[in-house]
Amino acid sequence: MSKPVYDLEHHAEMAYGIGDPQCFKGKAGKPKFKEGDRVRIKDLPDIFYTRTMTYTRGAEGVVTKLVYESPAAEDEAFGNEDSPEWFYSVKFMQKDLWPEYSDNYSNDALETEFPERYLESV
Amino acid sequence: MSSSTRDEVLRHISVVGLMQPALHKQTHAPSPDEIDHTLFRAYTRTPHDVGGEPDIPIVWEEKEEEQWELNTFATCECLAWRGVWTAEERRRKQNVDVGQTQYLGLPYYGRWLLTAARILVDKQFVTLTELVNKIEEVRNRHV
Repeated sequence: MSKPVYDLEHHAEMAYGIGDPQCFKGKAGKPKFKEGDRVRIKDLPDIFYTRTMTYTRGAEGVVTKLVYESPAAEDEAFGNEDSPEWFYSVKFMQKDLWPEYSDNYSNDALETEFPERYLESV
Repeated sequence: MSSSTRDEVLRHISVVGLMQPALHKQTHAPSPDEIDHTLFRAYTRTPHDVGGEPDIPIVWEEKEEEQWELNTFATCECLAWRGVWTAEERRRKQNVDVGQTQYLGLPYYGRWLLTAARILVDKQFVTLTELVNKIEEVRNRHV
């Protein structure tokens, strides 16, 4: 059996002098969402690898910023960088994430990032 | 859709909190009808996704890194610079592939070190035979 061949230089060459995720700039195409859009986080299957926190799934929030273009963690974690997508910063009210969250702090919010595949319009 | 997803997600978070490493408990291979969707999701989850899990407070201890921990960090960064893995591949291996018991049971840099060895074996930069022989050689040197 022959050894698998890994392209070790590929990522370093791409990111040289500009960094990551800047090296994926312009590679994700047209973004599906814009600042201010109200979105819901999809509960996609979470086997093997994901960085989309369970506690955000099914919750609704507002896009605050298009942050960068990058492969989603699900691809990048296995060395695949073929399909960069837009990442969005989404802001949730804490009360929408945690049913027992105190009314005294009903203004509290939490903001975190998602690749586009996890968002759907509300 | 949303409210049933929320129900499932919150139930999931409360179930995975029960899956701490159980050193003194024997695990029995379950028959398929003993694993419903809730348990399947809990077992196949990614152990690093701990947000919201019920747990007790842990004691904060101010402690500097040990030399082997700093060396481990440098080694892992060198592997990245040489293209052996990306940061996300490293995180997958050290936070998820190790499984729940090792994720919660081993020290932070212990998982880094174990994973540095694992990536080299997985991608056949060294064979497990070579690694085992080397560990054995070093161990014998120090008896």
